[in-house]
Amino acid sequence: MTLEAFTGQALSGISVGMVLFLVAAGLSIIFGTLKVLNLAHGTIYMVGGFLCYLLTSKLVQIPGAFWWTLFIAPVAVAAIGGVIEVLLLRRIYAQEMLYQYILTFALILIIGDACKFFFGVSYKTVAVPWPVNGNVSLWGLSFPLYNLFLIGCGIFVFLALSALIRYTSLGRIVRAVTHNREMASALGINVPRVYTGVFMLGSYLAGLAGTLMPPMSVVALGSDMAVIIECFIIVVIGGLGSLPGAFLGAIILGLLNAFGIYIIPKLALAFPFMLMIVILIIRPWGLLGKPE
Amino acid sequence: MTKNLTDRFFSAALWMILVLLALMLVPFVFSQSVVSLINEMLIMALAGCALNLMLGYGGMVSFGPAGLYAVGAYSTAILLTRYGAPFFIAVLAAPVIAAIIGTIVGWFCVRRSAVYFALLTLAFAQIIWTVIFEWYDFTNGDNGIVSIPIPEVLYSIRNIYYFSLAFVAICIFVLWRIVRSPFGATLQSIRENPMRTEFIAVPVRRYQLAAFVISSFFLGIAGSLFCVFAGSVFPDYAHWVKSTDMLVVCLLGGIHNFAGPIIGSSVYILISKVIAKNTTYWMFFLGIIIVFLVLYMRNGIAGFAAEKLSRWKNRLQGTNG
Repeated sequence: MTLEAFTGQALSGISVGMVLFLVAAGLSIIFGTLKVLNLAHGTIYMVGGFLCYLLTSKLVQIPGAFWWTLFIAPVAVAAIGGVIEVLLLRRIYAQEMLYQYILTFALILIIGDACKFFFGVSYKTVAVPWPVNGNVSLWGLSFPLYNLFLIGCGIFVFLALSALIRYTSLGRIVRAVTHNREMASALGINVPRVYTGVFMLGSYLAGLAGTLMPPMSVVALGSDMAVIIECFIIVVIGGLGSLPGAFLGAIILGLLNAFGIYIIPKLALAFPFMLMIVILIIRPWGLLGKPE
Repeated sequence: MTKNLTDRFFSAALWMILVLLALMLVPFVFSQSVVSLINEMLIMALAGCALNLMLGYGGMVSFGPAGLYAVGAYSTAILLTRYGAPFFIAVLAAPVIAAIIGTIVGWFCVRRSAVYFALLTLAFAQIIWTVIFEWYDFTNGDNGIVSIPIPEVLYSIRNIYYFSLAFVAICIFVLWRIVRSPFGATLQSIRENPMRTEFIAVPVRRYQLAAFVISSFFLGIAGSLFCVFAGSVFPDYAHWVKSTDMLVVCLLGGIHNFAGPIIGSSVYILISKVIAKNTTYWMFFLGIIIVFLVLYMRNGIAGFAAEKLSRWKNRLQGTNG
C-alpha cells in the first residue's frame, strides 16, 4: 500500500468515525443520564439525513443552503426528540429494561415507515457544499476537503461538549442528576426537565451527524440499523456513558473499518464485533469508562 | 377435595389438549394459505417459547436468538444439500449443532448481566450473520440456499403442517416440563434476585448457561423446521431484526405466562400479514400497536387474559360456594 493510499484510507476512516462519534456521543449521554439504551437513536440520525436532503433541495435558491440546513435540521431533530421523550419515554423509566428496548424498537418501525412515506425508497444525494468541496494537498498528498471538515467538526463538538459538561452550571446539573437522581431532585433540580433536555441534546447530536453525512455518502432507508449497531460497538469499546470513550471508540472503529478489509477481507465485517466481545469480557466498562 | 369443576376447567393440561386437537383439524377446515400461515405461527411460537425460557423465566434479555435460529436452519440446509444426509438426521442434527454453538456463545455471554449481556448476545448474533453472509463456499453467502431437497412426502402443505405440528407440540411440551421442574423454579429465583440465589449455594452462572443452551437447542429446532417449511435459507434469518421479531412475539403475548409467546406469535403473524396485505406501511401500524402494548398492556395479551380469567373464575367459585 502506498503512503498516499494509506493516509487517504486512514483519513476517510477517521472522518466517518467522527460522524459516528457524534451519534454515539448522543447515545452515550442519553444512556449515562437517563439509563435508557435508545435503539431508535440511529433512526433519529436518519431523520437528520432526510431533513438535510429536504431542506437543501427546497432552499436551493438561497446561497449557502447547506449551511442553513446544518443550522435548522439538527434543531428540528432535537424537537422531535423532545416530543418522544415527553410523550413516550417518560412513562417507562421505572419499568424493566426490556420495555425500554421494545418501546424504542417500536419507534424504529414507526419513524422508519414515516420516512418511507414522506421520502420514498430511493437513495438521496446531497452535493458537497462550497467552500469545503474539492481537494486539498497536504505534504504533497491530496485529500478531499470535506473529510477534513468532518474531522474538524468532530473535534470541535467533542471539545465543546466536554467544556459544557465540565465547566458550565448546566453541565454541573446534568452531572448531578447522572450521579444521583434522588439527591439532585431533593436539592431542587427539576429532574424530568433535565431528562428532556439531555434527550434533546442527544437527539441534536444525532441530527447533526445525520445532516453532515449525506454529502459524503447517501441518505437511504435502513441506514439507521447500520449506524445504531456501530454506535453500540463504539460505546462498548469506549465505555457506556463516557464522552472521551466515545471519541476514542469512534476513531478505533473508523480505522478498523478502513483497514480491516486489508487484513482478512472475509472477516472485515466481523472485526468490530470481535473487538466488542473482547472488551466486554475483559473490561466491560470500556477503555475509558469507570467500573460500576 | 378442593378440585371442583371450575378448577378442572381452567387447568392447563385440558387447554393444551383442546388446542392440539383444534390444530390437528386445521387442514380439514381451512385453505392451504391459511394452513401455511398457521404453520409459520407454530414455528414462531416454538422460537418464542425457547427465547422466553431466558427472557421470562431467567430474566436474561437476549438480543441474539436469531443467530442460533439461523444456525439450526443452516445446519439442516447444508447437511441436506452439501452432504446429502438422510432427512431426519439433517433435522435432528440442527438442534445439537445449535446447542453446541449456544454453549460457546453462552459461555461468554453469561459472564455479564443486564445491558452488557444483551449487547454480547447481539454481537455474537451479528458475527454468525457475518459468517453466513461472507462464507460463500460453505453457506452460499447472501444468495442463500434454495431448492433444498426435502422428502417428497413433505411436498404437500398438509403433510408438512403435521410434520411441524408434531415437532412443535413435543418441543413445547418439553419446555413446559422444564419450566415446571426444579430447574425452572431455580431459574425464576435467579431472575428475581441473582445475589440471594447465589447465597443459597446455587451456581447462578451455570444455571444461566444451561438456560442459554436449552434455549439454543429449541431455537435450532425452530430454525430447522422453518428451513424444511420454506425450502430455502437466507442470511437474514440471523439478522437482529429477526431477533427483535422474536422479542416482540414474547412481549406481545406476555413474558410471564408460558402460553404468552404462543399467543404472541399467532397475533403477531396475523397482524403483520393482515396489515401488510392492506398497506405497504405495516411496520408503522405494528410500531403503534407495540407502543400501545408497552404503555397500557405491559403483561401482554396472556397476562391481560389471565387477569380477566381469574376474576371470572373467582366470581364463578363465589356463586358456587
